[in-house]
Amino acid sequence: MPELPEWVEPVARYMFEVGLKGTLRIAAFSMAGSAVIGIVLGTLLTIKFLPMRAAIRLYIEVWRGLPIIVTIFIVFFALPAVATQFEFDAFTAATIGLTLWGSAQVAEATRGAVESIPREQHEAAAALGFGWSGRHAFVILPQAFRRLLPPLVSLLVNILQNSTIAQVIGAAELLETGERSVERLTIQTFEIHAFEIYGAVMVVFFLMSFPLTRLAAYLERRLVQ
Amino acid sequence: MVVAFDWSFITENWRELVEGLLRTIEVSAIAIAGAFVIGAVLGAARAHRVPVVSQLAGVYVEVIRNTPILVQIFMLFYALPQIGIRFDAFTVAWLAVMVWGGAFNTENFRAGFEAVPYRYREAGLALGLSRMRTFLNVTLPIGGRIALPSSINTYISVLKNTSLLYVISYPELTTTAFHINNLTLQTVESFTVLAVIYLALVWTLSASIRRVESHLRIPEER
Repeated sequence: MPELPEWVEPVARYMFEVGLKGTLRIAAFSMAGSAVIGIVLGTLLTIKFLPMRAAIRLYIEVWRGLPIIVTIFIVFFALPAVATQFEFDAFTAATIGLTLWGSAQVAEATRGAVESIPREQHEAAAALGFGWSGRHAFVILPQAFRRLLPPLVSLLVNILQNSTIAQVIGAAELLETGERSVERLTIQTFEIHAFEIYGAVMVVFFLMSFPLTRLAAYLERRLVQ
Repeated sequence: MVVAFDWSFITENWRELVEGLLRTIEVSAIAIAGAFVIGAVLGAARAHRVPVVSQLAGVYVEVIRNTPILVQIFMLFYALPQIGIRFDAFTVAWLAVMVWGGAFNTENFRAGFEAVPYRYREAGLALGLSRMRTFLNVTLPIGGRIALPSSINTYISVLKNTSLLYVISYPELTTTAFHINNLTLQTVESFTVLAVIYLALVWTLSASIRRVESHLRIPEER
């Protein structure tokens, strides 16, 4: 096996220990936040109460319509200018931005999934004495979840990939640590290794995403059958 | 705490914002047109299993769909010059979003073409049309319309993705608003205006496209 160049080992170590960890941290928190907020909002959206539906619709259309980078800029730069208690570090700001976007996606998918459950299920649960929240928590949502699973897995792929947008505000995720490494090597050794480093970032993302997109496709197929 | 919105921000900066907006629209238009062609051609190759082209298209689709577009932009602009391939910012701008949109559109069109019932194509061939004519006159109009809703979503994503060109300092809308913010320090105004323009753009685009879509819908489907 050929010997790796000297610069590789410390860069790889830094990108994995700091960068990959940062990426996974942003993705995990954003995914959890998106799922919880999205499922709640999506379920509430099925209630025929106009003011609430209009408010949730607006939430969905705004955060789905904006490019994620713009949402992250708003959270990171504009919110602290409105009130100082809204000052977040880059990691938190990116996570909030991704969660706003992701929860809008989940809310829309949840609405569809909940509405696909036949009304007999609602009636049967009501007949058993469940109130609205018990009916949804124990009867409707568990059934809707089967239909919700493929879009949730696809969302995880998208959140993983879009977590790179945190790079623009300097959060130390995989792409940012890659960029810092390219710059450091250029200054210290006068050699440019952008191709190898960004290539490696692409490979790592591919290795994380590809199995998940396969899984989403498999779940989708199983649902149709 | 309430911050008053300074309306003079708009009168003082609208020229730059319009220039940025026009660049966003220009890059999006080129990329959407390109993504349409890539999607129709490679989608047909995938659906009809044209040897070699189909496999290459499959690799292209999987690589693009499973890696972040931001890293693809970095690759094109910051990494390729290292191996002697140099593009200016404008070329990277439309190329990056077009290549991304093309990959997603290939999948959209593949699914659309595969959904065309085989007997339609059989009917075309039985009428003596060549395979190419059958594709152009039967599979493309029907499959293209089946693929329309998903490909429209891809075009809207292409438009939104042009905002990521900020990282190569291409002066489209997001980069422009960011620079105005740096100069004026009117952070709330800069990013509010930026958000409002994007929402206006995306909402009008999706609303008008839905109307076109209902016109082009296949009549026999309810």
